[in-house]
Amino acid sequence: MSSRSRYTWWAPYFFIAPFVLLFLVFTVYPLIYSVVMAVKQYNGLQVSVFVGLENFFNLAEDLEFRKALRNTFVFAAGSLFIQLPCSLGLAMLLNRPDIRARGFFRMIFFAPVLVGLAFVAVMFGLIFEKNTGLLNVLLHDLTAAIPLLPTWDKEFPWLQEYVMPALILAAFWMYIGFNMVYFLAALQNVSKDLIEAAMVDGANAWHRFLNVTIPAIWPVATFVFLLSFIGSMQLFELPFLLLGPGGGPDKQGLTVVMYLFDQGFNVGRFGYAGAIGWVLAMILFCFAMLQKFLARRGEA
Amino acid sequence: MPSTPPSPNRWNPLETLSPGGWIILIIAVISTGAVLVWPIEKTEGLQLWTFARNHSEVYENILDRRNREAEQTGQPKVTVFTIDGPALNRRTLAGFWSGTPVADLIEIERSAISQYVSGPIENVGFTDLTDTIVAEGLDQKINPPSFSPWTSRGRIFGLPHDVHPVLLCYRADLVEQAGIDVNQIETWDDFAEVLRPLIADLDGDGKPDRYLLNSWYTAQGELEALLLQAGGGTFDSDGDLLVASEANAKVLAQFVAWTLGPDRIAIDAPDFSASGNQLKIEGKVVAQIMPDWLAGIWKSDMPQLGGKLKLMPLPAWEPGGRRTSVRGGTMIGIPKATEDFDAAWAVAKDLYLSPKLAKEMFQTSNIISPVMELWDEPYYAEPDPFFSDQPSGSLFIEQAPHVPFRSSNPFHVAAMNRISEAATTLYGEASEGAIVPLDQIDADALLPRAQELLKVAEKRVLKEMSRNVFLRKELGITPDGERIGEAVE
Repeated sequence: MSSRSRYTWWAPYFFIAPFVLLFLVFTVYPLIYSVVMAVKQYNGLQVSVFVGLENFFNLAEDLEFRKALRNTFVFAAGSLFIQLPCSLGLAMLLNRPDIRARGFFRMIFFAPVLVGLAFVAVMFGLIFEKNTGLLNVLLHDLTAAIPLLPTWDKEFPWLQEYVMPALILAAFWMYIGFNMVYFLAALQNVSKDLIEAAMVDGANAWHRFLNVTIPAIWPVATFVFLLSFIGSMQLFELPFLLLGPGGGPDKQGLTVVMYLFDQGFNVGRFGYAGAIGWVLAMILFCFAMLQKFLARRGEA
Repeated sequence: MPSTPPSPNRWNPLETLSPGGWIILIIAVISTGAVLVWPIEKTEGLQLWTFARNHSEVYENILDRRNREAEQTGQPKVTVFTIDGPALNRRTLAGFWSGTPVADLIEIERSAISQYVSGPIENVGFTDLTDTIVAEGLDQKINPPSFSPWTSRGRIFGLPHDVHPVLLCYRADLVEQAGIDVNQIETWDDFAEVLRPLIADLDGDGKPDRYLLNSWYTAQGELEALLLQAGGGTFDSDGDLLVASEANAKVLAQFVAWTLGPDRIAIDAPDFSASGNQLKIEGKVVAQIMPDWLAGIWKSDMPQLGGKLKLMPLPAWEPGGRRTSVRGGTMIGIPKATEDFDAAWAVAKDLYLSPKLAKEMFQTSNIISPVMELWDEPYYAEPDPFFSDQPSGSLFIEQAPHVPFRSSNPFHVAAMNRISEAATTLYGEASEGAIVPLDQIDADALLPRAQELLKVAEKRVLKEMSRNVFLRKELGITPDGERIGEAVE
């Protein structure tokens, strides 16, 4: 053993100590403490009563929580089954060598993600307004100009009655280019030899996509799927700013994280918020396992 | 004698770490030391937190003089901080819940008070001012209904800043042009009937775009004002739930019927939004349910409407009924953690009872003072050019003693949310023709369903109350959400 290694064996521990300390204090301890909180009812942080699993039983009966869960899953479904296929389609389009100015278009589609969520919420708030909103006015004027079409109602209540489509549309605008980048990277790694071989074997474009492209991008696709799902389950800022803390009329835009935030930081029911957090964590864990399973199956 | 070469095993401190390692260590030590010895800036005297910029501007004017005098007398100075409403609430609640520092005086908005009184009465973070207020006779000096939003279970936790009576504001230019006499209007039914000729299709697309009232089934503020006007609301002064009351059902049915079918008179022109203001400026809104503070906002945000508007008492729900309501409100509270209660209480009184504040609040924000002896001040009776030279102050003051009781029950917000959900469900069902065909929608047709929905809403509130282990006994609720006895507000 050299003199240097003899006297500096502690150096790595010394340098990793700040991270470990912060990780223990700000991640491990809160995680453990949140379990303790979930079995208590709080009034402030100084007064608490042990209630066992009552918070979880109340959660099962809580209509608002069910609504938040349903809204979150609907949004996630919109993200996964509308946004991701469109992202893939866009990536395939912008992966074609015959498209001119591909780099420019890639940048244009990616650009919305650079805009802050708060700004997007304010902007879509104006776009979706009744009577004076950009979308309603545009659709009204367009349909009024076409004789056979019924005129679009300028009072169309995007943010009153069609909250979820409005949220999915706003998120679509923002994230389609972001997910496109992942697919684009994956598509660029699809073996050209395999595609040419498939063409020689007489495979048409759809069969090549199904049997060559999809298996090749499968690991990335399942990763993007999981990432989108986690992002959707954690949806907070967009509906919070677009619709207000309550999630808009009839809580149509209330999400699980918004409900958690409301119960914890507005109502002061920290135990209940802890229980909501753990239910959300369990859902995410199950989907992470599903992603792992699907990714392995794809690789096999 | 030749010197002995250094032993290869001898410890050389400089070799312990690489140069990069030493630099990181030195920076870490210096920055840690700097953070430890960095002086924490202390604000001298008392701190006052407010969420309203228009309040803080007036307070600073008044407190400047007080602070100059304080320098000579050795009294604590007061510093005003304007903090965004939600941030102020979060910071204050966090302070109360965890014991972190808060200001000595804090202004709280009406919609947030339930959060502060959601636990046992002894755990409320604000000082109970009841005995002090009574001992000093302030309960006689200040408009009595103004205390109700800040009173929980019989204890007062703040000094009221305002009264916020509500009037009806209407487009006098349009009404007079149509030759309509608003003196014919006594009830909401009269309002719809008399002003109906003003509903108009201004852009010629075959659909009306000017309506009589700025109101929508989603507008919780207007709904609450109308419920209170009719004698409904969330809880009565004894703490009993009013959610499923007949008054609430009647208002809810009418409120939704205004937005649908052949009797539609309402338009959605939200306050505090550019699009809502645009609709008002374009003359697509004939009338507005108008608290005094909103009149001030209209003056600053829509000066184009100056001289085109007039005020009148709200139409009543029944002939001879209440012609006003109440919306919004602010109190000043003193946290229990303050180190100098007497000084904070003196500042609260100096501000809120000050004739100068009353005058400036009216002149800058149209807000009338809750201090009854100031209601005869001449500035309230001056002609207001914005309201076609009507004396807007006097008109609001006339209604001030009649503003309804407002509950600050810990479950007030939950109850109001359940009523709003009932309104949304009722609207949804009615607009789909699930209650009666669309062309037959009116308040009478919607009333039975409104009653059913409010009963369901009340049960949900009771269930929510039963889940609070700290309060359910105090509020007279069993763990199954049943009432067990007389509750106390």
